[in-house]
Amino acid sequence: MSDLSGLPPGAGLQRVTVLQGEAHASADPNVELSTVLGSCVATCLFDPLSRIGGMNHFLLAEPPSTRSRDNFDEHYGLFLMELLINKMLGLGAVKSRVKARVYGGANLNPAMKPIGTANAAFARKFLESEGIPIAFEDMEGRAARRIHFMPASGMVRCRTAPIESAPMDKPLVRPQSASGDVELF
Amino acid sequence: MKPTRILTVDDSASMRALLLHALTTQGFEVEQAEDGQQAFEWLATNEVDVVITDINMPRLDGFGLIEQLRDTARHADRPILVLTTESSDEKKRRARDAGATGWIVKPFDAEKLATAVRRVAH
Repeated sequence: MSDLSGLPPGAGLQRVTVLQGEAHASADPNVELSTVLGSCVATCLFDPLSRIGGMNHFLLAEPPSTRSRDNFDEHYGLFLMELLINKMLGLGAVKSRVKARVYGGANLNPAMKPIGTANAAFARKFLESEGIPIAFEDMEGRAARRIHFMPASGMVRCRTAPIESAPMDKPLVRPQSASGDVELF
Repeated sequence: MKPTRILTVDDSASMRALLLHALTTQGFEVEQAEDGQQAFEWLATNEVDVVITDINMPRLDGFGLIEQLRDTARHADRPILVLTTESSDEKKRRARDAGATGWIVKPFDAEKLATAVRRVAH
């Protein structure tokens, strides 16, 4: 695990960097989840009763060239949302209590496809359809963001970051981990 | 020819919408349930050719649904595909022991899913 925070680690604090394509959940008050976002979106979910939280970091895949440029492939975002929720449920969270804070989805380069806006729209649509209220959002715009999330308390710090510090978000044609493998017994 | 009729069981509205689109586009007839309990009650009075179920669901999870269906004479041989984000061998073994017909890891590929459904549909 690398540290993208640029901050010295606090005493006893375990800092976990959540990279694109990952989802982490924890109930440990000594864990901090952090990430740097450009056009990607990070969803921070928190169940205030069980004090379990988690963060994912996703970027929707580009559609095949034959389809509309605005029609991004939502499979991967959906997968990472479900993965995050399942990790939290596995620790004891209850979906009906979970609230969301969402960050990222910037359109860093106006000459490129508005994938940041597409990511932000997907996150809002997913959370609405799953009945998960958005307690706070800081999405879109032109700035990169650095996020620090304490999953056991639900506290989030979001700072704008230099564009150069954001990872070069490259949409995947299909997720690397997306096997969709079928095994018949 | 009568289209293959599928019941999908998933507590995520977004996943149900994605499955509905993927499967109807492939020519299947699709019914949907929000968890294992709703699926089991619906299957008490309805017929499908194939069940596709998630694992992590409230009330009755995928393992419980498979076990209850296998205890029901009408559904003892019903093809049941598990579609899940779970990737552990332990969970896969548990699904197989409960009587699942197959195991598919999300995010799914619509073509592979359709091929699997056609292979197991009686």
